[in-house]
Amino acid sequence: MKAKRLSGLGVAAAFLLSGGAALAQDKEIVIGAQCDRTGPTQIVGTVLCPAYHHYMNLVNKRGGVEGYKIKVIEIDHEYKVPPAIEAHERFKKEGAVMTSAFGTPQLIALLKKFDEDKMPVTSPGIGSSAAADGKKYNYVFPIAATYWSQTGGAVKYAKDRLGGNLKGKKIAYMFFDNPAGREPLPVLEELAKLEGFTMRTFSIPSPGIEMAAQVLDITSRFRPDFIIAHLFGRAPSVAIKELKGKGFPLTKMVGLVWAGAEADIIAAGGFGAAEGYNTLQYAGVGADFKVIKEIKDMLKAEGKTPGKEFESTVTFNRGVYQGAVHVAAIANAIKAKKGGKITGEDLRKGFESITTLDPSLDGLAPPLKMSAADHEGGGWVQIWTIKGGKFVKTTDWFQGYRDVVKAHVEKENAKK
Amino acid sequence: MFHREAGNFKTSYAADMALFPLPITKYTAGFLLVLFFLIVPQMMHEYYLSIFNLIFIAIVGALGLNILVGYTGQISIGHAAFMSVGAYTAANLATRLDLPFWVTLPAGGLMAAAIGMIVGIPSLRIKGTYLAIATLASQLIIEWIINHTPAISGGASASLEVARPTLFGLELSSQGELYYFTLTFAVLAIIATMNLVRSRVGRAFVAIRDQDIAAEIIGINIFKYKLLAFAISSFYAGVCGVLYTYYFGIANYEAFQIGVSIDYLAMIIIGGLGSILGTVLGAVFVTALPTFIRLMVETFGGYIWDTAQLSAVAASMRLVIFGALIIFFLVVEPEGLARLWRNIRNYFRTWPFSY
Amino acid sequence: MTLSEELPFIFSLIVSGLSIGMMYALIALGFVLVYKATDAINFAQGEFVMLAGFVAATILAAKAPLWVAILLAIVAMIVFSFALERIVLRPLLGRPVVAVIMATIGLAAILRGLPPITIGAQTKLIPLPLPEDSINIWTASVPPIQALGVVVTILCLLGFSWFFTKSRMGVAMRAVADNQQVAMAMGINVERYFAIAWAMAGLVSALGGIIWGSMLGVDTQLALVGLKVFPVVILGGLDSIIGSVVGGLIVGVVESLAAGYLDPIVGGGTKDFAPYVLMIITLMFKPYGMFGKRKIERI
Repeated sequence: MKAKRLSGLGVAAAFLLSGGAALAQDKEIVIGAQCDRTGPTQIVGTVLCPAYHHYMNLVNKRGGVEGYKIKVIEIDHEYKVPPAIEAHERFKKEGAVMTSAFGTPQLIALLKKFDEDKMPVTSPGIGSSAAADGKKYNYVFPIAATYWSQTGGAVKYAKDRLGGNLKGKKIAYMFFDNPAGREPLPVLEELAKLEGFTMRTFSIPSPGIEMAAQVLDITSRFRPDFIIAHLFGRAPSVAIKELKGKGFPLTKMVGLVWAGAEADIIAAGGFGAAEGYNTLQYAGVGADFKVIKEIKDMLKAEGKTPGKEFESTVTFNRGVYQGAVHVAAIANAIKAKKGGKITGEDLRKGFESITTLDPSLDGLAPPLKMSAADHEGGGWVQIWTIKGGKFVKTTDWFQGYRDVVKAHVEKENAKK
Repeated sequence: MFHREAGNFKTSYAADMALFPLPITKYTAGFLLVLFFLIVPQMMHEYYLSIFNLIFIAIVGALGLNILVGYTGQISIGHAAFMSVGAYTAANLATRLDLPFWVTLPAGGLMAAAIGMIVGIPSLRIKGTYLAIATLASQLIIEWIINHTPAISGGASASLEVARPTLFGLELSSQGELYYFTLTFAVLAIIATMNLVRSRVGRAFVAIRDQDIAAEIIGINIFKYKLLAFAISSFYAGVCGVLYTYYFGIANYEAFQIGVSIDYLAMIIIGGLGSILGTVLGAVFVTALPTFIRLMVETFGGYIWDTAQLSAVAASMRLVIFGALIIFFLVVEPEGLARLWRNIRNYFRTWPFSY
Repeated sequence: MTLSEELPFIFSLIVSGLSIGMMYALIALGFVLVYKATDAINFAQGEFVMLAGFVAATILAAKAPLWVAILLAIVAMIVFSFALERIVLRPLLGRPVVAVIMATIGLAAILRGLPPITIGAQTKLIPLPLPEDSINIWTASVPPIQALGVVVTILCLLGFSWFFTKSRMGVAMRAVADNQQVAMAMGINVERYFAIAWAMAGLVSALGGIIWGSMLGVDTQLALVGLKVFPVVILGGLDSIIGSVVGGLIVGVVESLAAGYLDPIVGGGTKDFAPYVLMIITLMFKPYGMFGKRKIERI
């Protein structure tokens, strides 16, 4: 017992003195992944992060990227800011050349550091929407529809559902009362002016476990034609339950990306209860993709059984999608560099030249087109609807009010 | 450090209250200053300096909380709110008026102190648990106001970017450069606190903590000193918030939510209430221990779990072991790490002739 | 809106506020029971509720009948609280109030860290055999699960009121709460009653966990209900059982009215703000709540 303890201390001391583990090898790309597996967003983290690992393992099994192996270091920050800072520095020390962020406050606290350290970071579904402009934030890559693009998509979907004209219609915007929840507001206001609909906002304060009064206000006073819900955590499921209880048709409602995972539907009382509810997605839903089957086969070949993370396909596929974008960037960087050590700057260019992803992702990924000016890759979204006990694809990939969103991004970045 | 007092005789009250009661403490302090200012930044990898930076900033905030909770006996669960007050004050001054950090930093502290005095008013009527919950309410109300006032928070995203601090034209941006920035303020905070607690004000605080009615009888104006304690404590918190702001390069209230208040409370309780050494130890414990636990699990867990599982296990173990250690320390030594350290020192003071 | 339209709206708001207020009271009861008897603040009340939910949901997932799951959850929570008191809180007796606060915070960390590596972080369900349709009272409608919550809270209230006024054990417990030293002198085993108080809190948390877990689904998000405890107990008084119910009702109604009437004016977000403002006002003018025991010391 004592000897074991001593050796433990010895290793720790050696670690401190040597400056950590061995540096990255030549033919290896190290990626630092931040995650929250223990904090308030663990329900996402415990699915998304394992999915990301599975995909990277699959890529390595296939032989790596252009002969390079990928090594992922994951650090859990419990949705707290100081551990996220520590994680970022640790990644740097371990030779990481790119990272993925998890959580808006953590991303914001590190925004400056990413630029200073020339470390590309991906922030699908969380990043500040202004970061879609690559000229302002050189190293931040939302890689998926930002909240502004999602809002555009949601309004476009509402327009299609309401007969192609929003003039005189009423749209209720239910949002989580934090900066992320308020982010779509300016775009919504612009679109309301453009399309001539009336918009009213209904804020759901954290933790959002109870919203009977707001729902009552929506259903008996405002009586909207459509609801856009931008909710997090437990709030989406409570909203679905309450609105259904008050007799609002769920078909006239769309939830943005954090309001539409399996967990939300289950907590709302199961797929039967949420029939008709529309969700906006930045990655495909379900297990009918070649890459998912490959991952399952890989696990089977290793003699493992697929874990619980496979049950939540919405979040799982987002992890896979994130991995695929990373791999595409790495492949581009290696091809452009033709040997030698890949740096963060190479990877930035790699990200900015992404036009195709791993073909095995098939319909899971949007038709992403990244460029130096567009770090969002087009802002593509899909609508999936709960029908007959499962998610059913309602629309293919589309962009909502791309011009309005783009103009808004430029306006926002010119202001600062 | 381990030293003996034999041969040192104090002949006046002034000597008894001196900052360095013994010559050896002066040498120890000098040694530590040299170690941290000159040797550590040269020897350590930047990663470790980043942990030191987080610890140093935490020390400033925790000292402030300890003045209020440990020395004056007024429980506060709203410390992080004052950090955000300081952070946004400094960020607004820095972005709108282009003021340098040596103006915005005290300004942030003073603003936090002013708000802290207002929050401290209920402490005149209530104490203990009720005060704790009142400060919790203040935390949520301050958070709410910042969240809903674009004039303070700088718009919907509630974050304000600030430029890196510059000193004599030199921009402090890397962890190594920021190290000196944070260390300087940590040292200043420690010295200021040491001086405060051995002054008339500090003794008044302790008197209020120990028995407020008796304190009033001996002529301490409780109204004034309780508010002063809140103001000083919030000043530290405000400065801590400004340090975070410059360290991150951005002010964002989501970095100062209720969980942060609880973390700081954990620091001083684990470290030791009413002890400066304890505050420092507590800040180290709470900031670095989770990292250390994770490191251990990563190092040894590799034999049991594969890498994918290890990430999950390391994350959970970190939280579980951390929680268990808090409870363990509280049960074994409720007076904190500082007391544990004193026990060890007392043992060695007379060693090997303990009897 | 005219008055004839306004009245049903207000009525609906108040009814939904009252029903959710009773649900808050159920969580607050566990907190108050512990504070009343032992002067300890339980910052892990939300995690207690979460744990109970996890136990019940896990047993249900193993295809056990509902009554077994409920019974086992209650037993598990009582045993857990009992053990907690014995192992962690008893050594802290007589220590500063912050030590106990910190211990419960440490406990909360453990309880949040365990699920992902043991039973999984995924959302679980506690399906209760309740009717689908809401219960209508004039223009207002109450979801069946909340109606059940109201009934359970009232039963708890009646049960504990009887216990504290009529039973020998309850009277002894009040004596302990009133003055530990005198109670000891009268031959009351104070430590035993502390353990019983925690066990009772465990029982209430189990009921809260099953009902809230059934309403929200069970995962670590369930622990967030603990945040609602503080305004409730401050309004009602930290050590008053009836106070927790009245406090719950007030918080529920104030939140409801704030969301219905203040939000449209100021643009939203007053719902979580209003109870805390109310709480500060209460603290300034009636520091020990409406029903709390006055321990005020004039200086």
